[in-house]
Amino acid sequence: MTKRIIDHPVLGTIENERTVTFTFDGKTYEGYERDTIASALLANDVRTIRRHEATGNPRSIYCNIGHCFECRCTVNDVSNIRACLTLIEENMVVKSGDVQPDPLNPNNEGPLPRTYEEYAERKAGDTDENA
Amino acid sequence: MKDVIICRCEEVSLTDLEDAAKKYNCSARELKLRTRAGMGFCGGRTCRPAVDKVLTSITGEDPTNNIPLKVAPPVRPLSLSDLGGVNHD
Ligand code: FES
Repeated sequence: MTKRIIDHPVLGTIENERTVTFTFDGKTYEGYERDTIASALLANDVRTIRRHEATGNPRSIYCNIGHCFECRCTVNDVSNIRACLTLIEENMVVKSGDVQPDPLNPNNEGPLPRTYEEYAERKAGDTDENA
Repeated sequence: MKDVIICRCEEVSLTDLEDAAKKYNCSARELKLRTRAGMGFCGGRTCRPAVDKVLTSITGEDPTNNIPLKVAPPVRPLSLSDLGGVNHD
């Protein structure tokens, strides 16, 4: 928490803040009460909130006022939540966005079955496991 | 500077836009459809003025003339549940 501005001429000082624990991509972090997800992550030196769905380039806050949706992440299983507007809560589960499969790119077709045989094979495998 | 990204949602750079605008000498709408600038998640709300500017600087087209980049509702990204059905806070 060393990069915070703890003494600000207009916004005042930060002291004795209650800490809030949350997880981001499985790792546990601490932020202050009334932190947004974005500010809590920045304070923890996490600068990549998601990756571009097609290229995988890292993304973080851009406008920080809820306009651009660059900072979207998945919060408690609800997707496309803006990290710059959402306050952290105790035990919040935050996940970053990742590269999505691209049916037109042979190197990244994703996990979907490509033929009916593949689908049937997997389906058979599934029921075996569940049985 | 040339690699500066204009449309972050679809990762379209200034060079991409300039090249397309020069090559096709096109309308703002055609530029959008060719490069995908302004067609991403934010609905073009972030880069639209910049895309218009790039085009104006190359073809001289005034953004309000001819075929403009259109703005269609909803004006910002919404989840379907916001429109009704599921309640969550
Ligand atoms: S950074 Fe732009 S919406 Fe959050």
